[in-house]
Amino acid sequence: MTDVHGAVDAVWKLESARIVAALPRLVRDVGLAEELAQDALVAALEQWPLSGVPANPGAWLMTTARRRAVDRIRRDRLLERKHEQIARDVREDAAEDGRDDVLRLMFVSCHPVLPAEARVALTLRLLGGLTAGEIARAFLVDETTIARRIAAAKRTLAEERVPFELPARAELAERLSSVLGVVYLVFNEGYAATAGDDLIRPDLCLEALRLGRMLAELAPDHAEVHGLVALMELQASRAAARTGPSGEPVQLQEQNRGRWDQLLIRRGFTAMLRAREAGGPPGPYVLQAAIAVCHAQARTAEDTDWARIAALYEALVRLLPTPVVRLNRAVATGMAHGPQAGLDQADSLLTDPALRDYHLLPGVRGDLLARLGRDEEARLEFRRAASLTRNAAERAFLHRRADALTGPAAPAATLGSAARDFLGRDGLDAATIRSYGQTLRRLCRALGDDLPLTSLTADVVARVFATAWGDAAARTWNRHRSAVSSFGTWASLEGLAAHLERRAATGPPAPAIEGAELVELLGRPGIAPRERALWSLLHESAAGVSTALSLNVEDLDPSGCRARANGSWITWHEQTARLLPPLVAGRTRGPLFLSDRRPGPARTPSEADLCPDTGRRRLSYERAEYLFKQATKTVDPTGTGYTLRRLRAREARH
Amino acid sequence: MRYLMMTKPTEAAPDEKLFAEMSAWIEELTASGVLLATGGLEPGGFRVTSAGDEITVTDGPFAEAKEAVAGFALVEVRSKEEAIEIARRFRKLVGDGESVIQQVFGP
Repeated sequence: MTDVHGAVDAVWKLESARIVAALPRLVRDVGLAEELAQDALVAALEQWPLSGVPANPGAWLMTTARRRAVDRIRRDRLLERKHEQIARDVREDAAEDGRDDVLRLMFVSCHPVLPAEARVALTLRLLGGLTAGEIARAFLVDETTIARRIAAAKRTLAEERVPFELPARAELAERLSSVLGVVYLVFNEGYAATAGDDLIRPDLCLEALRLGRMLAELAPDHAEVHGLVALMELQASRAAARTGPSGEPVQLQEQNRGRWDQLLIRRGFTAMLRAREAGGPPGPYVLQAAIAVCHAQARTAEDTDWARIAALYEALVRLLPTPVVRLNRAVATGMAHGPQAGLDQADSLLTDPALRDYHLLPGVRGDLLARLGRDEEARLEFRRAASLTRNAAERAFLHRRADALTGPAAPAATLGSAARDFLGRDGLDAATIRSYGQTLRRLCRALGDDLPLTSLTADVVARVFATAWGDAAARTWNRHRSAVSSFGTWASLEGLAAHLERRAATGPPAPAIEGAELVELLGRPGIAPRERALWSLLHESAAGVSTALSLNVEDLDPSGCRARANGSWITWHEQTARLLPPLVAGRTRGPLFLSDRRPGPARTPSEADLCPDTGRRRLSYERAEYLFKQATKTVDPTGTGYTLRRLRAREARH
Repeated sequence: MRYLMMTKPTEAAPDEKLFAEMSAWIEELTASGVLLATGGLEPGGFRVTSAGDEITVTDGPFAEAKEAVAGFALVEVRSKEEAIEIARRFRKLVGDGESVIQQVFGP
């Protein structure tokens, strides 16, 4: 007998998506379906070493999982009379090939009610058959984090009652783009590893490619699906050429094109043709794939059709004006229309807060500056990029690029050395060092340790401040401002804070919701009593959201206006006092704010989170937040809806 | 990782049922992203040998027909175990015979 565990694992990875996808029709809960499928896996691990691997291991797992599902339903006595119905369902289900089920499963595990990282973890778990440990290793986080993320995702799906259905036509595009986004995120984490020592983690790339190829067969009518597959195949085709002998990155222009994988390139082209056949205006993935096609078609780097690539980026920026896409456009422009044109576009991104710690911006600027012969600035940018990347191989590469630029040695007085001296002076207390340190570290990160001190001007400082603390509260802004001012005086750089206005103290960064706005919200039809009470309580008491949700009925003070939480009292006013009693409704203990439903049979929340009378669980933060966002979508200027924290009044009124 | 599966010829001629099952299976494997390329090979072929400067071309078929390759499949899998599992399924479909599976260097 060969390694049976290895065989079980292999079968599981090949089959788990179909098995998990087939079960929700029986048990109506994706989380439970996955648990039942896992039970079947455990059974295989127990039985196969003794009985041998069955002739059709996939079918064995499927049958076992289905049987467990039926057992579970029987045990729950939910469907006593419907046994025959179940038996019929099981037979009918077995007849279908399950492809639509897998597609449904993909849509559910990438559902927008889940946070992005939960979608990724759940998709790898449900569709890829990966264990929490495998996912954790791939993303370099610890296993419990992933396990918790998956458990929370399953809970959210159950609480939100996300149906196990294909999305309706109206929301199909949005939902599909969520699925594509998850697959591409997995691919990118493998292809451009953001952390760790390796530039590429092929396992994740393969996982994403398989998900994408699967999706292309399941939803062949959507051009963007094929666009994504083409993009991934073409990018993966360059994987072997992207790193040099010692793991250093090799830029596209310098790659040995003979090492590009022709098989994957051909698959990419084929996927591109399918995208074209599917028709419609090109979406972001098709455009990105078209760019990748341009590179794949160029026999040498010099043959690259940069004008076409720049044009494609122009189109892409219109659909997807993200800072990263704009940065890539700057690269393409730099190649097509000269380094100055590229630099102009790259410079316009300097004030974008989203890019302030993104190593590729100084990396790209360094490259463009070097081509313009501005070596000193280029070197500074490469060093800065090196200090920002989390990837070891890339950092070494950036340092080498900086070293390769000849020119006068770094000046004696640099920002980095001055900052160190400034903070190392005698007579500074620890709190001051910590506070000044924050300010100066940010300056160093934004401008580079090697920036000659003479280049540190009020304009430059103002730009860093706008990017780093533009949205910060007045107190934070003023603290950093006085740190810079103090540093300037010390370094004899007069007027360093000259362009930084002192800010008048205002409220917290995200202003609290006005009373009138809340009154309007509470008065709306269709808002449940529980939400009214919670919102009002948060507003009047200024208590933390978690604290409010953790309240139990027995914590309430008979006065009706306060409750004990974490050893102290939180208090509120008449409105809340009026809204709470219907929630208590005769209960004497257990969570004050309850979820609408009982937990599924497979989940056992801790007893403290269950109502002893009704068996319902405590309302979760996610759910509470979601409901508030839904309700405030229409009034929030950004359209996303407010967070519950915004309900806290500016100052506690007691 | 990629594996090349090479299948040796059998005496039994494939029937229509096998053709149907095989094409369904190939479709499934392609859809799941595992199968990258596959094909059947003509039994004859020709042989090119080099010795010093001399190149000799010999037309087939060759005597040791059993050692020839009748078909191939290039699969992309996560592990050797997955490659074994896929080969196992293939052998179940086609009946008695032999396949040789070797890992392809590279991605």
